[in-house]
This record gives sequence, structure tokens and C-alpha cells, in this order.
Amino acid sequence: MIENLLLIAFATAAVTGGVLMIVLRQPMRVALALIATMISLGGIYGLLGVHVIAVFQIMIYVGAVMVFMVYAIMLLDVRDPSFTERYSRLLWPGVAACTVLAGVLMGAVWQGGIALPNGLGESFGVQPFSAAFLNDYWLYFELTSVLLVVAVLAAVAVVQLRSVRRG
Amino acid sequence: MDRSQFLLWVSLALFSIGLLGLIVRRNLLVMLMCMELMLNGVNLSLVTFAQRGGSVEGAVLVFLIFIVAASEIAIAIPIVLLLVRDRLTLDAGAYTDLKG
Amino acid sequence: MSTHLLGLIVALPLAGFLFNGILSTRLGGERLNETAVNLVACALPGVSFVLTLVCFMQLETSGKPLIEATYTWATIGGQGFEVGFWFDRLAAVMTLVVTGVGTLIHVYSTGYMHGDKSHARYFAYLNLFLFFMLLLVLGRSLLVMFVGWEGVGLASYLLIGFWFDDPAKAAAGKKAFITNRIGDAGFLIGMFLLWGAFGTLDMDAINAGFLGPKAPAVSASLVGLMLFIGACGKSAQIPLHVWLPDAMAGPTPVSALIHAATMVTAGIYLVARMSGIYSHAPEASMVVAAIGGATAFFAATIAVAQTDIKKVLAYSTVSQLGLMFVALGVGAYAVAIFHVVTHAFFKACLFLGSGSVIHALGGEQDIRKMGGLARRIPVTFVTFAVATTAIAGIPPLAGFFSKDEILWFAFASSQGGAAWLWALASAASLLTSFYMFRLLWLTFFGASRMTPEVEHHVHESPLSMTGVLVVLALLSAFGGFIPVVHYLEPMLPLPAVPESLHHLEGTLVIVAVVLAFGGLFAAAWFFAGTAQRAARVRETFAGVYRWLANKYYIDELYEAALGRPFTWLSDRVFLQLGDRTLIDGALHAMAASARRGAAAFGALQAGSLHRYALYAVVGVLAAVLWSLRHG
Repeated sequence: MIENLLLIAFATAAVTGGVLMIVLRQPMRVALALIATMISLGGIYGLLGVHVIAVFQIMIYVGAVMVFMVYAIMLLDVRDPSFTERYSRLLWPGVAACTVLAGVLMGAVWQGGIALPNGLGESFGVQPFSAAFLNDYWLYFELTSVLLVVAVLAAVAVVQLRSVRRG
Repeated sequence: MDRSQFLLWVSLALFSIGLLGLIVRRNLLVMLMCMELMLNGVNLSLVTFAQRGGSVEGAVLVFLIFIVAASEIAIAIPIVLLLVRDRLTLDAGAYTDLKG
Repeated sequence: MSTHLLGLIVALPLAGFLFNGILSTRLGGERLNETAVNLVACALPGVSFVLTLVCFMQLETSGKPLIEATYTWATIGGQGFEVGFWFDRLAAVMTLVVTGVGTLIHVYSTGYMHGDKSHARYFAYLNLFLFFMLLLVLGRSLLVMFVGWEGVGLASYLLIGFWFDDPAKAAAGKKAFITNRIGDAGFLIGMFLLWGAFGTLDMDAINAGFLGPKAPAVSASLVGLMLFIGACGKSAQIPLHVWLPDAMAGPTPVSALIHAATMVTAGIYLVARMSGIYSHAPEASMVVAAIGGATAFFAATIAVAQTDIKKVLAYSTVSQLGLMFVALGVGAYAVAIFHVVTHAFFKACLFLGSGSVIHALGGEQDIRKMGGLARRIPVTFVTFAVATTAIAGIPPLAGFFSKDEILWFAFASSQGGAAWLWALASAASLLTSFYMFRLLWLTFFGASRMTPEVEHHVHESPLSMTGVLVVLALLSAFGGFIPVVHYLEPMLPLPAVPESLHHLEGTLVIVAVVLAFGGLFAAAWFFAGTAQRAARVRETFAGVYRWLANKYYIDELYEAALGRPFTWLSDRVFLQLGDRTLIDGALHAMAASARRGAAAFGALQAGSLHRYALYAVVGVLAAVLWSLRHG
């Protein structure tokens, strides 16, 4: 019972955060709304029982990605036309298109057009997760490490290149 | 309507809102954040399927998406920084070099 | 019987045209000198003339027409159009005149065009004209005749506008061609009607069809009128006569050959050849006679007031052609052809004589600035006087015989002869005698009105010119004794004359002779000496004189009634509305719509990231819908 209530609460918070994201004017507030959404999502994952993912959601998304984003916003807080005029010229076409898309997809889910697997909905912990990860998907694990290294190098290179050219 | 359907709806809603934000907002950083929101929506649907089916592969994929999202943001924000250093504006309307 | 000579007669002048036209003009590098050009150009028609004589002999011995079928031009729907030649008595007379007088005029031209900068081009065109004229008179079917008809129109245009550097001369050439074309429309309609009725255009078959027992499917009068419209254009009858006086812009031998002796008689030949139609078409024949008579009188009145020596002769030609049409209209086809022959002799002599005068005076054509030339250029004078006497109808020269027959049948023919027609024709004849002797007196007699330097250079023309003049003068004098009418009678019988009128024949002859001499004495009285009496009459009747001198303002009338509306139509409706607005506008609109379409497509790639995202959403939506439908 309380699980369902909590689920609905977290879901509502997530969607509300999303809506606030596109309504608020200042980028910092938008970032905070996104953080709220992500935390709510973390809560949903926890309720589902996949605590691994919930923890990783908070650590990586909120702790790394959004912090970086907040740094960037603080650095680049430019009061330019994007501040006074939040919306582009495609506001209403965009709203129409996305509403239709959402409606079509949700309708498909409602009518059972999207097949859901027949499972019991068990939760799993870290052990099965890391066992599957490092046994069956170790290649992708290594590849992601490479990806991270490449990302670091690329970021450094992009910034360095600029400063080298600037002399 | 059971829990999985409800969560799928939520994920679709998040994804659509993110996509909408990408189309309507003019600030570059806000557009980036909307892309993150889209990713989160997708993650939610993946987790829903994984948990319902009892398979752990879905969770592995979610983990990989985390990593990719982090790398992506690590590159995207410096790019935005460099662009803004030149044009001195965060307005997406000023970046029309793809025209024609 | 069949022969191969007819094609050769036609082809020889064509060979001359090609040879001189390609090698001797600037096109081929002017490889031949004047003498060579002269030789080629004159020899080939001469050979044609000899061959015509040979064919004439053959016709005499065999008694049946010579037929030569060369090839089938086209076969449409099972019916063929053949190019064939036909040589019967009528064709014999015409071909002899065309080749004979033609060769003489070629020889004359060698003297007249000596030293001209486009000498070779002239002879090439002249040979081309002869080729087409022979095609016209020797053709078996109306189609071959029409090819020749158009071709002589073309050659006439080329030769009238020969000195095309002068825009007025070039315009005269255009006027001739265009006026001819208007007549050709009638000719074509006539041909279409005949083809529809008979399925063939062979003239002998058509004549036989009309003369045969069964009435043909088309009205003879209608066809006759249509063909006569064509003849009006070619033979310069009212209302299509306006081109002939302007055609005097061309070299004088051209005027002699084309606009006196041969081309303008093509209309006469057409009507005479189609006598089978006209003898069964009393309405059309009446129209022919009426227009002929009216033109004869009308042109004669204008000629009285003209002051250019060639213009007088041009209107005289129009008038004489009118008389020929009068003869055709009353059924005396052979008489008209007789007058064609005698007219060819004396009119060619007159034109060539005027050319000699112009040559002697170094280019002067205004008779008010001539006078007293009789003793200075005697050969020209004598030949001109002989030809003038012939055209006036003074016996026993050629004009008297042919004109007298025309007047007789105009009065007495049972196929349309009437007193008013005779009166009109006689009045025209009186005026003819008057103005021709006026021309003679003003040019050759009296005190000299020439400017001193012109007078100083007056000289007789070279032998090539005077020799031809002498030959033509002899023909004008004795040509009346050639029994043309009798020769043509088996195929062109004379119309019947009612018994009651037979006794008037002698009276009418005397009347005609009196009129001819009357004209002579009147001209002498008015224009002898200093022509003071004429000047006084001119002042008294100044208005009438102005009307006659300006040709009844017909050209101005055509310009106002037809020329200006057409120009307005062409400019406003067809050029500005049709061409610029509709056609160019349609093209511009197509280009503009292409440009706008391209711009619209270009707007898709505006560089706006939001727009690209929207496109992506739309694409995803489409993909989702598709997969849901087909999933």
C-alpha cells in the first residue's frame, strides 16, 4: 500500500520536475528541477528493488553529471536573449508534435501493443549484478573504461587546443 | 493497470518532456539538460523491463548508459564552453552555421 | 506521246542558276569573269528555246500533246502527286514566248548590267526565274504549276529588291511578294476544291471532267472565282495591283521580262488553261470580265498623270492585262493568248527601250527632265516609236490585230459580251494611245529639258542592247500576222457571235482605228513643243490631276485600312499580350515557381537546431506509427 503511494509520489515528483525544467527561466533553477527529477527516479529504482541502479543513479547522474552542469551554468551565466525569451519559434509545433508522440506511445502501452515480459518482479542485489557484469559482459566493461579514458583525453585536448592556439 | 504500465507511462512522459524541451528552449545548457532528462526516461523504462522480467541484463545496459551519459556530458560541456567563448551568447538561434 | 525534252527545257535554266549562283557569286569566290557569266547565262536559255522549237515541230507532226512524267512526288492515302510536263498547243505558244523573249532579255541584260557589282547574282536570279516560269507553263498538274507560280514570285522578289542596300527597293520587293501571297490563298482554295471533287490535279483531267457529261461535284463558278483571285494577285488586277508600279524599283530588264512579258501573264495562262471551268461558269466569267475592264480603265487614267518613264509603262501593263482578262471573261481565250504574245513583244521593247534611255541619260527616269532625244539616240528612238505605235493599236502593227479582236468579242460575244464592256475597253484603248504618245513626245521630242551634264553624256547604248531592241521592234511590227488564234482554235474555240451583230464588225474596227489616231493627235497637240497646253489643262484640273498622279491614294487607303490595324494587332495583341505576357510570362512563372520551390526546400535547412529536432520528432512519430500498424 505504502509502496504504491510512494511510487505515485516519486513518479509525480519526477514528471513535475520535468515540466518545471521547460517552464523555468533561469538555468540554475532548471538544473535544480532536473536534480529533483533524478533523485525521484532514484527513489523509484529503490522502490523497485534494484538498489544497485538507484545508488549509481544518485552517484553518477546527480553527483557527477549534474554537478558538472551546475559548474558550467555558474561559469556561463550570460544574460542573453535566451534568458528573456525562453522559447524558440517552434513552441506550439513542438508541443503539438510531442503531445501526439506521447499520446501514440502511451496509447500503444495501454492497449497492450507493447509486450511486457511475464515475470515476477524480483529485486536483485549487487552480487548477481556484478556476477553477470563481469562474467558475461566484461568486454563492454573494458570498453567503457576505454571510453572514459578517451573522454578525459578528449576534454583535455579540446580545451588545451584552444589555449595553445590562443598562444 | 499495473505498476509496470504506470512506470512505462512515466518514462514515456519524461522522454516526451525532454524532447519537447529540446525543441522549445533556447538556452544551450538547458537543451543539454533536456537531453539528460530523455536519457533518464529511457533508463526508467529499461529498469522497468529488467525488473519485471527478472533479467539482470537490463540493469547492465542501464549501467552502461550511465557511463556513456557521463562521458557525453564531459565532452559536451567543454564544447559549449568553447562555442560561447566565441559568440558570447548561449542562445541557440545564434548558432546557425549548419544553414544551407 | 512521251518525250524527254520537256524536262531538259525546264532544267537548263536551273543548271545556269546553280552554276552561276554557286561559282560566280561571292558565295563561291567569284571564280568566273563577266564574259563567262554572260555566256553561261545566255546560252542555256537559248538552248531551251531551240529545244522548244524541236518540241513544237514534234507537236506539229504528231498532232497529239507531248507528255513527260518525271517522278512521283508523294503518295498520300493511295493517291499520288506526280511531277509531269504537258506540251500542247497552248503550252507551245507560251513556252516559245517565255524562252524566246527570255533569251533576248538575257542578252540585253549583258549590256545593261555591265559593271554592276552583283552582276553574277543577277544572272543567277534571272535563270532561276526562267526555270520557275517554264515549270509553270509546262506543268501538267496544278500542283507543278503552283510550284512554278510561287517560284516566280520568289524570283520576282529577289530581282525587284536586287539593289537591296536601298531600303525602298527592298520594301518594293516585299510588297510584291506579300501581295502575290494574298492572291495565292485563293489559288490554294481553288486547288483544294478541285482535289476534293476530282481526286487529281492534272489540268487536262479537270478540263475533261468539266466538259464531260456528268456535272462535277464542285461549283465551277466557285472554283473559277478562287483561281481568279490567284490570277488577280499575279497579274496585278484590282484590288491586288498595287505591287506592280512599285516593282519598277528593280533593274529595267527585270521589269521587261517579269512584269511585262512573262510572269504577269501567268494569271492569263491559268484562266486560259482552265477554260473548261470558265466556260461552264458564267458568273465567274462575268466577274473576270468586269474586273478586267475596270482595271484597264482605272490604270489607264493613272498612267496619264505619271512622270516616271517606267511607272507609265507599269500602269500600261496593268491596263493591258485588264484587257486580256476582258477577253477571257467573254470566252475568247485564244484571243487573250494572242494579246499575251503581241504584248510581250511590244511591252518588252518599250521597257528595254526605256532602259536604253535611262542608260543613255546616266540614270534619269523623270520624263519632265528629258526631251529632244530623237536625234541623239536614234536606234532607241525608232524602236520605241515602233513599239508605241504597236501598243496604240495603229494598223498594221501587232497591237492592232490583237486588241481589235478583244474589243470585238467584248462587244459581241454570246458568253457575256456587252456594250458597256466594249465602251470601257475602248475608253481604255483611247487613253492608252494618248498616254503612250505623250510618253513618246515628252521623252524624245521638243526642246531638251535635261541638265547640262546629263546632256553632255547622252550616248547610244551598246549593240547587245540595241540589237535586242531592233529584234523586238520587228516582232512588234510584224507579230500581228502570226496566226496564234487560228493555231489555238482546235483546243480553245472562239465564242459564238449572234447573227444580228455580225455586220457591226467592220464598224467597230473603224471606231478602234479612229480612237487610236485620236489619241495620237491629242497627244501631239498637247505635248508637242513646250507642252504648254498640257500645263494649262493640268492647272485647270489640278484636283483631278493630283488624284491621278497619286494613284487614287489606294496605297494610302490600304495602309490606313489594313496596314495600321494589322500592325496594331501584331504589336498589342500578339507581341505584348501573346508573346510577352502569355508565353514569356508562362516561362518566367515556371522559373519563378521552381525558384520558390527551391527556396521553400532550402528553408528546411535553416541551421536552426530546434527545427532539426522537430523534424526528428516527426520522423520518430512516423516510424512508431508505422511499426505499430505493421508490428
